[in-house]
Amino acid sequence: MKMTRQEFLKALLAATAMPWVAAARAEQGSPIVVGATVPMTGPLSLTGKQYHNSLMMAEEDINKAGGINGRSLKIVFEDTQASNSTAVNAFVKLAQENKPSLFFLSSYSTQNLAVEPELKKIQVPAFYAGGADVVAEAGNEWMFRVRPADSVSAEGMVQCALNVLKAKKPGILYIQNDFGQGGARTAVERFGAAGVTVAGMGAYGQNDKDFSAQLLGLRGKDIDVLLIFNYPQDGALVLRQAKMLGLKMPLVTSSAALVPAALQLLSPADLDGVWGVVDTFIDPSVGGRMQDFVERFKAKFGTDPDPYGLAYYDGAMLAAEGLRKVGTDPKALRDWFATVKGWQGIGHLYSYDAKGNGVFDLAVVKSKAGTKSLELVQTIKLN
Amino acid sequence: MTDLIQLLINGLAIGSVYALAAIGFVIVYSATGVVNFAAGQFVMFGTFAGVAMLLNAQLPWPVGYGAALLAMALFGALFFVVLYLPLRASPVVTIIIGTVAIGITMQNAALLAFGSWPFRLPSPVESVNLTIAGATISGHAVAVVIVTALMVALLWLLFFRTSLGIGMRAVAQDIKAARLMGLKVNRLLALSWILAALLAGIAGLMLGPMWFADTSMGDPIALKAFAATIIGGFGSLPGAIVGGLFVGLSEVLGASYVSSAYKDLISFGIMILFLLVRPQGVFGERIQDRG
Repeated sequence: MKMTRQEFLKALLAATAMPWVAAARAEQGSPIVVGATVPMTGPLSLTGKQYHNSLMMAEEDINKAGGINGRSLKIVFEDTQASNSTAVNAFVKLAQENKPSLFFLSSYSTQNLAVEPELKKIQVPAFYAGGADVVAEAGNEWMFRVRPADSVSAEGMVQCALNVLKAKKPGILYIQNDFGQGGARTAVERFGAAGVTVAGMGAYGQNDKDFSAQLLGLRGKDIDVLLIFNYPQDGALVLRQAKMLGLKMPLVTSSAALVPAALQLLSPADLDGVWGVVDTFIDPSVGGRMQDFVERFKAKFGTDPDPYGLAYYDGAMLAAEGLRKVGTDPKALRDWFATVKGWQGIGHLYSYDAKGNGVFDLAVVKSKAGTKSLELVQTIKLN
Repeated sequence: MTDLIQLLINGLAIGSVYALAAIGFVIVYSATGVVNFAAGQFVMFGTFAGVAMLLNAQLPWPVGYGAALLAMALFGALFFVVLYLPLRASPVVTIIIGTVAIGITMQNAALLAFGSWPFRLPSPVESVNLTIAGATISGHAVAVVIVTALMVALLWLLFFRTSLGIGMRAVAQDIKAARLMGLKVNRLLALSWILAALLAGIAGLMLGPMWFADTSMGDPIALKAFAATIIGGFGSLPGAIVGGLFVGLSEVLGASYVSSAYKDLISFGIMILFLLVRPQGVFGERIQDRG
C-alpha cells in the first residue's frame, strides 16, 4: 500500500494527537473532585456529622441539577477526628491522592490553623468554618470562611447583652482555646467601647466537666448578664449546671450550645433565661429554600440541620457556581471567590472581604417558654 | 458562705464518684495485685448501661438501675473469666497490660454501639433542688453523697461482718494460705472483680446525670481515681474513700479559690507530693511491706 506524504503527515498528526484527545474526553467524562476534611469520629463529630451530611446532600443536589457543565461533582471525605495532626494528614492524603479542585476544611479553628500552611503550598481554594479571627489574619489568600468570624459573633453577643438585655455588669465565661479566648477578648473590647466594664471573667478547659467554681465565682461578682463562649457539649453542660446551681441572671450563649446536637442534651427548664446569638436562625416556616433544605435534610438524615451544616451547604453551592463559571483552574476559582459580593445563600448573604471573611449577619434567639423550640428575637447585621 | 456550701456539696458529690471508682481499684489490687487500668472504662460502661436500660429500653428507673447493675456484675464476671483467669499465671505486668488493652477495646466498643454523640442520662431526683442557708443544692448531688455513704457502710458490713467478706480479705492478705485453709479462692477472686464492676456501675450511674454520658468520660475518671488511691494509700479502702473525697474537693475548691486553669494541677501536684514525701499515702502500707 502506497501512502502519499500528505496522508503520512495526517496519520502522524492523528497518532500524536490521539492521547491528548483521549485524555480530554476522559476528563470531560470524569467527575470534578472536591476534598473535604471533616471530624467524622470523636468528640468533634458532634458538629462534624452535620456538615458531612450537608456536603453529601449538596453533592447530590448539584449532580441532580446537571452537575458542573456536564461533569459530575464528587466530594471525597477524610476524617480529621479531634486532632490537628490527623487533620493535616487527612488534608495531605487528599491533596496527594485525589488532587481536588477545591477543599472544604473543618469548622474547628485549631485544625484550620494546622492545615493552613499545607494549603498555601498546594495553592487550591478552600472553604472553612473555624471562627477564630487569627485564621483569616494569617493572610492565606486561598481560604474563604463560610460562617461569621468569632469577632463578629462576639460583637453580636455584646449587642444582645447591651441592647436586648440592658446589661450594666456583664460577666464572661469562655472555653480556653483560640475561639473562646478570641471571643472573650473581643467582647471585653466592645463592652469597653460602649462604656461598660466587664465585672468578671472565668475560663475552663476543653475537657472540663464541672463548671461550678467558675459559675459561682461569676455569680459572686454580682453580674447581671453572663456571656458564654462555648462548644456544643461543654456549652450544654454549662447551661445545665448553671440551672442546677440556681443562677438567675440571663445567659447569652454562642451558636454552638443551641445546635440540635446540644439541644438534645438539655431540658426546656435548662433553657429558661437562655439567649443565643446564633449564626443562622433555621426556621422552616419562612418557606422557600430554607424550608426545602430543612425538610429534605431531616427526611434524609433523621435529624434537624444546624447552622454549621447549612453554612457548608451554602459553601458547596457557591463552589458549584464558581466551578461552572470559571472551571477548575485553582487560581481562576480563587479569584472568582474573592470577588463574590451579595451572593444569597440559604443561611447568609455572602460578600468576601480581602481576608476571606464572607458572613457578617447573625440572629438573636431565645427558647419559647417551657419548650426547646427557638424563636427569633432579632437579626444583627454588622459591617 | 452560700457559695462555699454549694462548692462543698459539689466537691463531695464528684469526690464520691472518684471514691467509688477508687474503691473498685483497691479491691481488685488488694485481691489480685493487678492495677486495673480499665477502671475508668468500667465507670463509663456503668453510665452506658444506664443509657441502655433507662433511655434505650425505656425501663422505669428502679428496674432500669437494677438491670444496669446486673449487667455490670455480669461484665465483672466476664472480665474475670476472659482476662484474669487465662492470664493469672502470667507476670502481673502482663495482666496490667491486658487491662489497658481491654480498656481501649471497651471504649471503642461503646463508640461503635452508642456513637460519639453524648446522651443525657436522667436522675430520679433531677427536679429536686434544696435550699440550705440560701444555697441552691441539687438533689442529685445530695443523693450521690448519701448513696456513696450507704455503699461504704455496706462494704464495711461485707468485709467485717460476713464470712464472704472475711474470706475476700483473707485472699487479699495471703492467697496461698487462704487456699490451704480451704477457701474457694477463684470464686472469691471473681467476686472481687464483680464487686469492682458493681461499684464502677454505681459510680457511672451517678456520674451520668452530672456530666453527660460520653464514651470518652472514662479516662479522666481513671486518672482521678488513681490520684485518689495514691493519696489515700494504695490498697487501703478508707484511703480510697478519703482520697476520692479529697480529690473532688480540691478540684472544686481549687478551681474556685486558686484558679480554674490549675484545678487538675492541684490534684495531680498533691499526688506527686505524696509520691515523693509519703508514697504509702494517708492510710496505705509501704510498698516494701506488702508481700
